[in-house]
Amino acid sequence: MTVTPLSAHAAPLRRAWMRSPTLLLVPAVLFLSVVYVLPLIDLARVSVAADPWWTHMARVFSVPLYWESLVRTMKIALTVACLCAAFGYPTALLIQRSRGSVQAMIATAVVLPYFIAILIRTYAWMVLLGRNGPINKTAIWLGIYDQPLALLFNRGTVLMGMTAVLMPLMVLSIYSSLSRLDQNLIRAALAGGAGPMAVFWRVLLPLTLPGVGAGFLLVFVSALGFFITPTLLGGPGDQMFAMHITQQADSITGEGFLQALAVVLLLITLAVVGIAGRLMGFEFIWGGGKLAEPVQRAAPEQSGVAGPGRRSFAMFLADTIGWPILRLMGRLPAATGAWTVRILGAIVLCSLILPILVVIVISFSEASYLTFPPPGWSLQWYEKFFSDSNWMTAFWNSLTIAALSSLIAVVLGATAAVGIVRSEIRYKSALMLLLVSPMIVPPVVLGLSLYSLFLHLNLVGTYFGLAAAHAIGGIPIVVVIIAASLQAVDRRLEQGAAVHGASPLTVFRTVTLPAIAPGLAAAVFFAFLHSFDELVLSLFLSSPRMKTLPLMLWADINYQLNPVLAVVSTLEVVLVVGGIFLARPVLGRSRGAH
Amino acid sequence: MLGRMRLQGMVSALAVTAALGTAPVLAQSNEVIMQDPGGGYGEALRKVMYDPFEAETGIKVITVQEARSGPRIKAQVEAGKTEWDLTFIFDQETKLLGDCCLADIDYSMMSEGAQKTLAVMPDNLKRPKGVALQVIGVGMVFNTSVYSEDNRPQSWADFWDVEKFPGQRCLPAWPRFVMEAALMADGVEKQKLYPLDMDRALKKIAEIKPHVSKWWTTSAQPPQLLLDGEADMCMAYTGSTSKLALDGAPIEVEWNQGFIYYDFFSIPKDGPNYENAMKLLSWRLEPERAAELTSNFPVALPSSVVFEAADPAVSVYWANNPANVSRAIEWSPDYWGAMSGNGTTTNEEHGQERLNALLAQ
Repeated sequence: MTVTPLSAHAAPLRRAWMRSPTLLLVPAVLFLSVVYVLPLIDLARVSVAADPWWTHMARVFSVPLYWESLVRTMKIALTVACLCAAFGYPTALLIQRSRGSVQAMIATAVVLPYFIAILIRTYAWMVLLGRNGPINKTAIWLGIYDQPLALLFNRGTVLMGMTAVLMPLMVLSIYSSLSRLDQNLIRAALAGGAGPMAVFWRVLLPLTLPGVGAGFLLVFVSALGFFITPTLLGGPGDQMFAMHITQQADSITGEGFLQALAVVLLLITLAVVGIAGRLMGFEFIWGGGKLAEPVQRAAPEQSGVAGPGRRSFAMFLADTIGWPILRLMGRLPAATGAWTVRILGAIVLCSLILPILVVIVISFSEASYLTFPPPGWSLQWYEKFFSDSNWMTAFWNSLTIAALSSLIAVVLGATAAVGIVRSEIRYKSALMLLLVSPMIVPPVVLGLSLYSLFLHLNLVGTYFGLAAAHAIGGIPIVVVIIAASLQAVDRRLEQGAAVHGASPLTVFRTVTLPAIAPGLAAAVFFAFLHSFDELVLSLFLSSPRMKTLPLMLWADINYQLNPVLAVVSTLEVVLVVGGIFLARPVLGRSRGAH
Repeated sequence: MLGRMRLQGMVSALAVTAALGTAPVLAQSNEVIMQDPGGGYGEALRKVMYDPFEAETGIKVITVQEARSGPRIKAQVEAGKTEWDLTFIFDQETKLLGDCCLADIDYSMMSEGAQKTLAVMPDNLKRPKGVALQVIGVGMVFNTSVYSEDNRPQSWADFWDVEKFPGQRCLPAWPRFVMEAALMADGVEKQKLYPLDMDRALKKIAEIKPHVSKWWTTSAQPPQLLLDGEADMCMAYTGSTSKLALDGAPIEVEWNQGFIYYDFFSIPKDGPNYENAMKLLSWRLEPERAAELTSNFPVALPSSVVFEAADPAVSVYWANNPANVSRAIEWSPDYWGAMSGNGTTTNEEHGQERLNALLAQ
């Protein structure tokens, strides 16, 4: 008796809910408000909870050490972003120009390092560049010099290590912009008599400049919060700002000042992003204007202003800098451009792949410390990994947390992506900004802010707690990927189905879902790996009973260096390559559909 | 097969706890949560101390690797969520954290063996808020294939002398120890070090800076740097480096003008298993077992009873070996924990800021 009125009441309600995709945004926004925005506000509160309130802030800016470190951090981040752009562009071109399995291989080589813990890649550089490392040994053997050079622990090593770590971000960003480019434009330009150089300066570069800008900013902002790479590779003159935060976190009298340092780093990051967003639109965070299409439909006047403005700026750049260089370079043989791309691309691929190969080789080493080439071969480190209950427990913990975390991230992120792409609400960009902003907040700051919240909620060292914390960074990944997939779905198909009487749920199930399935699979995979590799948040939020794999690696690098960490990274490479291999049929299908 | 079954069991157990959204809560009375130094030392502790302890008492020892626990203890106790039962902290931290965050140690609960060890320990090392269980040494460590027996560095003045002892150096990126060493290298007598003349120390540190290949921050770095040839002479923890020397690596430890200090074992307030923590503390203080531990890893307990029970081949590397103590200096935690001239930071923080500024130049 009570059932009938209830369901009669529920049906229209449900339909209304379906009709208003805006509501789909609610879960993700609520989740992020509680576990992300709130702790950051609390962090700011602690940083000014002194008498007078500016005590700690004043110390940050009055002690030259911190101020200088801030300037140095900006300089390093800027240089790294420039290096990434200079080397990343040819690499992206190389991917775009190659075909078939070669393309898949190069793309894998670029993506692969991105999902291997920073810790491992950085340590591989230490081995490569060491006094007794392979680079010094080769150079001496070739007779280039006869005393091993001190290649490690200087600014150059930090720049190179950070560039290698952040390169995939840049390459993917430029590549996504290259692949969206209408190839007919290039053919038309060539047919019209423009040489390859002119095509590059006049067509390719101006049209992909937003992609370069997006990559540049993402790299710059990520570099601002780095501390693992400069700690391991840098000399005393390479202290970056985040290193002061971790140093202060070890001091029991640092409360307040510690938070003030974190707040300063956060504010600077936000300021950079804010200024960049003002100049080129906030779309760069989620991949260079992917949202432009729906925004254009919802509010044409908005993008109408931004579009031509950006293009004319790019044209201006190409004209003033491009043409004079172009005339000079026009005298070079026609194939020079292609060869430059190949050579620079090859350098990047080597620097991305070499450290991984070195790590794989070391995992079979006989020596109990990390040396290359290994003095002998053995499987003892694999044995140690698989027989040590600590490593195995950590491995299963990481798998469980990553599975749970990718579930949270995909459910919340995918619904939010549908909400943002399919709804017609105002402040869409602001909401999107909230959803993807965890990508730009330095992990050190986030970890610090979460610790006290998690302590009070009893979440420290729980599976759910860590999974939720990792999902903060997983949601942006999912939102970006799903939003991009959704925009590729022709809305006329959905509308067609709806016109013929299909309910919104049926439309979603029969039209939208199959179309975005490859994107969904990729989102799950990436969110999983994001959590599986996460170290910085885990450092703050783990407990005695809860050790994850990256935490075990961190402990090993700090307290006992041995090839077990090479074993773990080898297994991780296998996991990632296997994942990509398994996903290939799905990805291939999506390419065929286009 | 067995592994797979265990694995499945583990996965389903994880799934259940994950669904509940809480930490895997085991029988609380049956365990003790202990901070662990990790590495070779951690392995020695597991083998000599924890495994037999678990076998005899049925209390499971859960270890957590953490280098500095002070800030964590403070945050946990203040939030009313103490996770650890037994931790090791710095000397000055027993005072800074004593009132807010540490429980009193009930010495009357200790076993008979532990009482014997404690009886001969100085009062300063058995405080209500902490008992010194580890003597830590920081000294000069060098590569013997670079500096031969008849040309070995013997003082911080030698360490600073790059003409007589050419080669790369490595030093910790901390003001503690480094400033004292610099002052001794500059001719200050070891009895007259404190209070430190920071300006003079920094001036001397600036001299050696071009020859320092790495300013290290974790204890694993100096042995690795020495073995890799990145540095030929380092200021390093004597525990891990003397373990390498005992294992036959071309490394030697020089105790002259080395530093000795103590790690204190403390029980955070409102820890989950106070009685078990006391049992484990007793277990670790028993002389024979403490001596056996040092045969596996040369970090000693500061009690003469333990020293007498130890293997002399190992105890030459003990920081509290009388032969070493007479040549080393007793490092002053009180100085570093005291407030600096500006009134807002401790000497340690102030010194760190000034050292960082110098290193960044």
